[in-house]
Amino acid sequence: MRTLKFMMLGLLLSGFATVYAQDATTGATKIVVSGAGCFGAVYNADEDIKVNFNHYGFSPVFLWKLSDKLFFESEIEIQDGNMELEYGKISYSLNKYMTFGCGRMLSPFGAYGERWEPMFVERFPNSPLRADDEQLPDDTHLAWGAMMGLDVRGGIPLGSAKMNYALFISNGPLLYKDENGRPTGLIQYENLLDENNTNKELGGRIGILPFSNSSLEIGFSGKHGIAGSASDSIMNLTDSSYSNYAKIGATATAVDFNYVKSIPELSSVITVRGQYTSLTVDKADYYLNDSTNYSFDNSQQNYFAQFSIRPAMVKSKLFKNLEFLVRYGSLTAPKDAAWGAKDLNGAGGAVTRLDLGLCYWFSWRSGLRVAYEMTSRPDGTKTNELLAKFVTGF
Amino acid sequence: MKKILTIIAITCITIKGMLLINGCAATSEIQAKSGAQLWGENCLRCHNAPSPADYSDAQWATIGNHMKVRASLTSDEITKVIEFLQSAN
Ligand code: HEC
Repeated sequence: MRTLKFMMLGLLLSGFATVYAQDATTGATKIVVSGAGCFGAVYNADEDIKVNFNHYGFSPVFLWKLSDKLFFESEIEIQDGNMELEYGKISYSLNKYMTFGCGRMLSPFGAYGERWEPMFVERFPNSPLRADDEQLPDDTHLAWGAMMGLDVRGGIPLGSAKMNYALFISNGPLLYKDENGRPTGLIQYENLLDENNTNKELGGRIGILPFSNSSLEIGFSGKHGIAGSASDSIMNLTDSSYSNYAKIGATATAVDFNYVKSIPELSSVITVRGQYTSLTVDKADYYLNDSTNYSFDNSQQNYFAQFSIRPAMVKSKLFKNLEFLVRYGSLTAPKDAAWGAKDLNGAGGAVTRLDLGLCYWFSWRSGLRVAYEMTSRPDGTKTNELLAKFVTGF
Repeated sequence: MKKILTIIAITCITIKGMLLINGCAATSEIQAKSGAQLWGENCLRCHNAPSPADYSDAQWATIGNHMKVRASLTSDEITKVIEFLQSAN
């Protein structure tokens, strides 16, 4: 198995080295600087501080066309006091149907992270409900964020339909640890440099566009990697034997869909999109506290679906730039985990969220987004907030 | 892991199979479309469609590479769309 992975890696690298060497001398580069900036606020009638200016961001994107085949893209993300290179990826077009890429890149797992999350693309003031540190003790980066690795991808015409694919190999996920340094069963996918084992993650996405007008795309994704490390061990507190996490893997799957259509009868463009993601971590023992081990069925599900309509073909300037949005999402943490949202009996349950939103577009990628967001937790508590975000693309 | 490798193997076979079918296709509706039509159908799928005047010819060439990679558009599609955008700006 390991030999197979190294062969794949070797093949990809040697192919890339040869083609890069051939092209690196071709000269003139064409650079485009693009990106977006944003500023956001939240209103919550139940909080002491009712209005809070709570969000800012500036994300310049640098694009280099080094030759017809060689391309470099990068984004520096500055957000709420943090700054990082969100991605820095070099791509080489091997032929009409295949482009090879390497570097720190947005994960092609699911459609949300790579296609719908970028600041000017997301029409709501915030992301859909997802397995981040607002809901779990740590950001899983399950279906968004960056990875370090290699990919091959491309689009394939199929007569009156078409498909696309992306296959990747990257540093594997990490089993998250608690403050005592002990694995908890949570997963962190943004394992950029800090690889904890020699195992790499393999994954990919296939998109199918069945209609000749490309209005519908359905994507299927999967990824698997070992998340545990042989150096993390656990003592069975009943018989004092030790075992480790060397074989504990994480497998995730996702289905996404996107339907965009102009409807002349309504003088409007409608968009329906959504993604279902599920993550299963192999069964393992953990410490519940210093004197008790426990194990649980470690699988979580997350989905969202959204609908929007923009009367883009009406005469009124006000209405043609308005987009009406609705989004529903759910996140279900493992029932018996020591973390995640719990109901009143202590069992894990679903957090759900409904957003009713409006976006006023000033240009094709600058707009004011507003949403009324209602979040419900399994213990019966609810949060209602009014969110606003101004995004300007450049 | 075996499950994933099987999925990848099936994926590769599917891609290869689809390429073969594609090679045999006598007529292909999408390939007959103009750059303007492909722009109208594809460039609004993820975000609002930019208009030709938003960028210069050289900028469109670079953005073409970006969208080809990011959106996994087919090579013929992106070539036609960029030619259209460069001719209409
Ligand atoms: C599958 C989704 C998708 C499709 C289809 C798509 N784009 Fe994009 N586009 C994106 C994303 C995502 C970004 C933002 C990239 C970033 O900031 O990381 C983007 C950014 C852009 C930008 C800003 C400059 C840049 O390259 O980042 C332009 C211009 C653009 N797209 C033009 C187009 C055109 C023209 C088409 C039609 C050929 C198109 N897009 C089709 C997803 C898509």
